[in-house]
Amino acid sequence: MVAKRVIPTAAVAIVVAGGAIVSASRQGPPPPSPQASKAVVMKGKAPVSTELLKITLPRPAEVDLPNGVHLMVLEDHRTPQIVFQIEVPGAGGYFDPADMPGLASITATMMREGTTTKSTTQIAEQLERNAASVGAGAGLSSIDASVSGSSLTDNFDDTFALAADVLLNPTFPDEELQRYKQRIRTQLIAQRTQAGFLASEMFNRVLFGTHPASRVSLTAPVLDKVTRDMLVDFHKAHWVPDHAVIAMSGDITMAAARKAVEAKLAGWKKGTSAAPSADQPPQPGEARIHFVARPNSVQTNFLVGAQSLVRTSPDYDVLSVMNEVLGGGPTGRLFTILREEKGYTYGAYSGFSAFKVRGNWSANTQVRNDVTEAAFKDLMAQIARMRDEPVPDKELEAKKRGMIASFALSLESPQAMLNNYMIRHLYGLPADYWDKYPQRISAITQAQVQEAAKKYLDPPRLQIIAVGDPKLGEMFKKYGTVVTYDTEGKIVSGS
Amino acid sequence: MTRFLRWPTAAAVAALTLIASLSAATRVTFTDTKLKNGLRVIISEDHTAPVISVVVTYNTGSRDERKGRTGFAHLFEHMMFKGSENVGPGEHFTQIFNNGGSMNGTTNQERTLYYETLPSNQLDLALFLEADRMASLDITTENLDNQRNAVQEERRLGVDNQPYGKTFEAIDELAYENPAYEHSVIGSMADLNAASVDDVKAFFKTYYAPNNAVLSIAGDVKSAECLAKVRKYFEKIPAQPAPAPVDVTEPVQTAERRKTLEDPLARLPRIDIAYHVPPALSPDDDGLTVLASVLGSGRSSRFYESIVRQQQLASSVGASSTSNRGPGLFRISGMLLAGKSVDDVEKAIYAEIEKVKAGPIADFEMDKARNNWKRSQVSSIASSLSRAIALGRYALFWNDPNLINTYADRIAAVKPADVRRVASRYLVPANRTVVITMPKAAGSGSEGGR
Repeated sequence: MVAKRVIPTAAVAIVVAGGAIVSASRQGPPPPSPQASKAVVMKGKAPVSTELLKITLPRPAEVDLPNGVHLMVLEDHRTPQIVFQIEVPGAGGYFDPADMPGLASITATMMREGTTTKSTTQIAEQLERNAASVGAGAGLSSIDASVSGSSLTDNFDDTFALAADVLLNPTFPDEELQRYKQRIRTQLIAQRTQAGFLASEMFNRVLFGTHPASRVSLTAPVLDKVTRDMLVDFHKAHWVPDHAVIAMSGDITMAAARKAVEAKLAGWKKGTSAAPSADQPPQPGEARIHFVARPNSVQTNFLVGAQSLVRTSPDYDVLSVMNEVLGGGPTGRLFTILREEKGYTYGAYSGFSAFKVRGNWSANTQVRNDVTEAAFKDLMAQIARMRDEPVPDKELEAKKRGMIASFALSLESPQAMLNNYMIRHLYGLPADYWDKYPQRISAITQAQVQEAAKKYLDPPRLQIIAVGDPKLGEMFKKYGTVVTYDTEGKIVSGS
Repeated sequence: MTRFLRWPTAAAVAALTLIASLSAATRVTFTDTKLKNGLRVIISEDHTAPVISVVVTYNTGSRDERKGRTGFAHLFEHMMFKGSENVGPGEHFTQIFNNGGSMNGTTNQERTLYYETLPSNQLDLALFLEADRMASLDITTENLDNQRNAVQEERRLGVDNQPYGKTFEAIDELAYENPAYEHSVIGSMADLNAASVDDVKAFFKTYYAPNNAVLSIAGDVKSAECLAKVRKYFEKIPAQPAPAPVDVTEPVQTAERRKTLEDPLARLPRIDIAYHVPPALSPDDDGLTVLASVLGSGRSSRFYESIVRQQQLASSVGASSTSNRGPGLFRISGMLLAGKSVDDVEKAIYAEIEKVKAGPIADFEMDKARNNWKRSQVSSIASSLSRAIALGRYALFWNDPNLINTYADRIAAVKPADVRRVASRYLVPANRTVVITMPKAAGSGSEGGR
């Protein structure tokens, strides 16, 4: 035991015992959650354990290799499987040429379509014969691209060798590029039939303008323009090891992982690239109601939100707690009111993202046509309530307790744990970042949560997206300036 | 053709090593107990993470629904979260989430399943909540109306507001004659509206009895201690007369059935083909499972390589065998590439089926199915939840929870001749149902993207 510290809240459900052992005390049984709505009634008779659960966070072994690669290994020998990820900052869609949005994503996807020694079919056959996987991908606006894979322990050497081959020696066969283009063109048509896609496309467009963060899909003009040479050049310039991270979890040791990396990625030579950096998106213009008229809709899809923050922001944990109260699952206010009390919807939630550049915070729900207006008012009222009223103590404590205790569940998944450590490394967070997680969440106050709501859910910042039957468009004019679009995203009226 | 070449001895040794290493690391042990009231309890101890999962699998699903009450088993599942004698409405999930857990309920044709995953110090909480609602569900008109709305929104979200949403219903309605599997799990809006409080009460009494369920628990528990707790919470719940077994017999189909749907939300044609096949885990099912893998699983599958990649007729073509306990369907589904003909895709699918019947099946294709099931077996025991779900399912459906350890061996025993035989027997024109979904022009400017 190291220094005994009392964590300043009643609601600590677990203690993390690891490199830094902490202890905690709690007083009395956990508070039943308050009755935010008549839809939830706590009789309080169910037996809840007040015993503290001591957990030990497993630690990854970490080493820096001479070519710049940071190797992280989290051993877990419960089952004979290994999962790996090669994360390459600087090769993501953020670094697309201005006139070729999507090039990073196409490059990454096409890396699996053939190497100097294997055709796409041979790659598929080797992997599927072994029930293994290897994939390459890059987000349309992400800083990083990655090659990832998994296999049973017995096939790890072959699978990692194939991943290395895909990373180092892709040939981008023109024939496969043409096939890929045709498949994607079909997807571009198909995705416009999904109300959820139309909502997120519009949301990102109004939130991020022309910044890379606005992209949610490849586009037909880029598919028409892209050539094999562009892929070769992008791969050569961006897939460098200088700032890369390789993470492995499962039935493997650091010694075996290092041996595999040194043997199979010996040809991955350090370049001279500076650590990739990114510009923040400009704040969007004035808030509007953006209505996408989708004929034959029987529900209205709502997406309401604003830009959020960067992953390293001091507000990150506070926003997590605020979001949990409002819409972080079936115990959130949105679900409780819109579904359990009013029966407007199958689900109502909120969530947020944060990267090196600002992500977004958003609330979403899908409601039948005849309750669209009533549901919209309730949705906006719940967001306003987060700003206008402090979260009652009991409700806040219950949420924090749940967030901390749920951390124990991630111990079942070495991948989830390792992903946490990757985040710590990629964002330069403190070494004891996850050890201190329970303490940080416990310490968050009512006032902080309300401040975060005022700051991040400020009405002039909140863009409102609704996708639904064209007849519903008129109604929204009562609530703000409405811009109406068709399902191709063209403005039909308003500005 | 080096991929077919192998040295028999070396390969045999390698295969033996693989099997040995798998069974050593991944054999699941469990206890299997029947309580006095008929509740079957399976406990699988595993202390590698401080987590437990509690799963209750009730032996009722949409196949038990009668005409005019479709969607009922699933609507009922929603009622299970609206409170019981000692648990308020919504308290169940509030208690689980506030204590760091996760939970849900899910309904299919065969069963209705409820689960909780929690930090291991909350075992009593999960057992109490499940026992209380098994013993004393609180059924009111208000709760029923509220969840009827939620379920109808679930239907709009998943079916009525989605392209191809109605395609799934059309296939089953056309392929099946027996109502048990003919209708969708979500049910029709009219039937959902017709469900009454008395229906809910009768359904609860008939099906939600301890003798009609399996309780499976996996994770960081001590088996004896855990069983004592289970007895404390569950053994007092009275047994009920066993529900009458549902008649699922399906007449033999004698001619192809075919339907074309127009879908105003779709923009590209889609083809679905379904063949009647015997129940999951019946003798021919193993061959059909491998057949589905050969034809439609992944990018090394014949459908992908031929129809998607070489001929460039479709963006995807998949195949799956059945998981029904009763008469099942072997399903094939293809999404067309823009501008291609449905007829060409249909012909290409049949051509690949005929090739399986008549031609060789490559070693890699057999290895693929075998290794895929080994890998799924390993993956399914890595989390306490999937382990508990598998144990409950194998116990309830086939009275053999040890299938969690042996199922992959059944797939490994399938020979190429078995695959050819089941393809020739079941994938024949008279046994198939074909549903084609065509985009319906929506009138206004939305055609621009084609």
